[in-house]
Amino acid sequence: MIAFLRRHRGQILTYLGFILFAFVWLLPFYFIVSSSFTPRYEIFQTPPRYFPQNLTLENYPNMMNAIPFWRFYLNSLIFAIGSTVVSTTFSAMAGYGLARLHFPGSNLVFLGLVLSVALPQVALLVPIREIFNTLDLNNTYLGLIILEASITTPFTVWIMVSFVNQIPVEIEEAALIDGATLWQSITRIVVPAMRPALATMLIINFINGWNEFLYPLIFATRNDTKTLSVGLVSLGREAIGSSRPWDLMSAMSVLMIVPVLILILFGQRAIVSGLTRGAVK
Amino acid sequence: MTHSVENAPPASPSRRKSFTLSQRRYLAAALLLLPVVALRLFTTLYPFIQTILLSVQKYNPAFPPREYVGAGNFEKLAGDLVFQSSIEFTLIFVFGSTLLQLIFGILVASLLNAKFRLRNLARTINLIPWAIPMVVAALGWRWLFDGTYGWITDLQTRLGVQFSWLIDPVGARVAILIVNVWKSTPFVAISILAGLQGVPEELYEAARVDGANPVQSFWKITLPLIMPLTVTIGMYMMVWQLSVFDLPYAMTSGGPGFSTSVLAYMIQQQVATLNYGYASAISVVMFLVVAVFGAVGLYVFRRVEVQI
Repeated sequence: MIAFLRRHRGQILTYLGFILFAFVWLLPFYFIVSSSFTPRYEIFQTPPRYFPQNLTLENYPNMMNAIPFWRFYLNSLIFAIGSTVVSTTFSAMAGYGLARLHFPGSNLVFLGLVLSVALPQVALLVPIREIFNTLDLNNTYLGLIILEASITTPFTVWIMVSFVNQIPVEIEEAALIDGATLWQSITRIVVPAMRPALATMLIINFINGWNEFLYPLIFATRNDTKTLSVGLVSLGREAIGSSRPWDLMSAMSVLMIVPVLILILFGQRAIVSGLTRGAVK
Repeated sequence: MTHSVENAPPASPSRRKSFTLSQRRYLAAALLLLPVVALRLFTTLYPFIQTILLSVQKYNPAFPPREYVGAGNFEKLAGDLVFQSSIEFTLIFVFGSTLLQLIFGILVASLLNAKFRLRNLARTINLIPWAIPMVVAALGWRWLFDGTYGWITDLQTRLGVQFSWLIDPVGARVAILIVNVWKSTPFVAISILAGLQGVPEELYEAARVDGANPVQSFWKITLPLIMPLTVTIGMYMMVWQLSVFDLPYAMTSGGPGFSTSVLAYMIQQQVATLNYGYASAISVVMFLVVAVFGAVGLYVFRRVEVQI
């Protein structure tokens, strides 16, 4: 027995570490999911229960009766998908331009784009609010999508540039020598080659858009554009103290987690390789 | 993955004559870059300049007139207790979170890099805190810390510790820090994982042959080699976490009192009450903090690089 433990000490430590890690990482997740299936009276019980005794689904319809849930869901989807598509498309274009078509000052443009994330989103709010008032962009999908797309472009451009740099330039040169136009070499060679980076950034940008809170809070105050994250917080604010509707909020939280959970389960490799610019195998 | 070149039909000769190749390149570059550059100018550069201009004005659309006040907003800030508390907690929050995220990030990255059967599962689990909305995490944790119904409160009461996390100013700050470390360590861990995979396997083998144990090779090989990357990530996290405002907003509303208010939260509150000039002044302070972080980070980065 002791010999076994000694021989497999590394593996045993790894598995113990894994158990501790999984417990801490998943505890709040388990708590939210189990609360959503716990009847209200049981949630407000002391001492609290760690495993719900009477499982129920009633929190879900109750929540949907309390707020325009599906309207918020649709708004969140439009906001997240719209900003993702705009940001990823524009960034792929810019990434190709910066990586391949060197021109005087291209490094400066790249640096400026990437460093512009250092300016905190919240610190630029006042002038943006003024612009939105002038152009009447408050409570519009267009306004929200522009803002969210913009905030995710620096990282996306950065990923795109490093990805294009890994594609051998010879293929494109050969195409140009063979008489293809620049446009043809981009659509027939570059875009197919960039597909992995595009997929990765679509996933990551969607998650960022789905989770965004500041812009919808400020610029989508009406129910017809309000997103889930803002709806969730205001659901909690309608009541004060211990009467906070955690039964409804947990049900809403679970439905907010579902899309990102699906993306993680199916896109784990793509996300990890994207966040590390392809360094993790 | 790449299409064969033969598929591309030859270009029409007339088109080729109108521009030289390099002219067409510049034109293409301009067209490709225009959308992103326009977006960033519109939502970042212009607001940045405007914010600086607004910071020296008294401007509240609800209470005209709008007027130039010089350093007035900043003088007001200097005596503002909320601002003092906010800047104190901002620094605690940013430095504390980043330091803990780097430490736990290295530990988790080592686990995600270890060769064991559940490695892929571990990498998937790792992404969950990162991917769920911050407000969901903040409200879930708020409930775990709840003074009456929270699991954490219940467990510690059973152990004989009477403590109300969210009512005590220090407790609330610690709770916010815990949630933030939980939420963002996964991102740090993945980034460090990339660095771990870049360490050549031969170095570990050589160390093993020379009789080094795993702990020694971690301190002498792994850590020095991933240090430049770790510093870069640390820098990035510090700057990025300066603007975290949804966590205190959803979890504590900056309370109790204003003990968990950070600069970002304070700006949002001032914007909500239409104190545009004052909000801009706080924003300028934030820009300065970013600049200082950047300068110090660059200095540290150079030092670490030289050491290796």
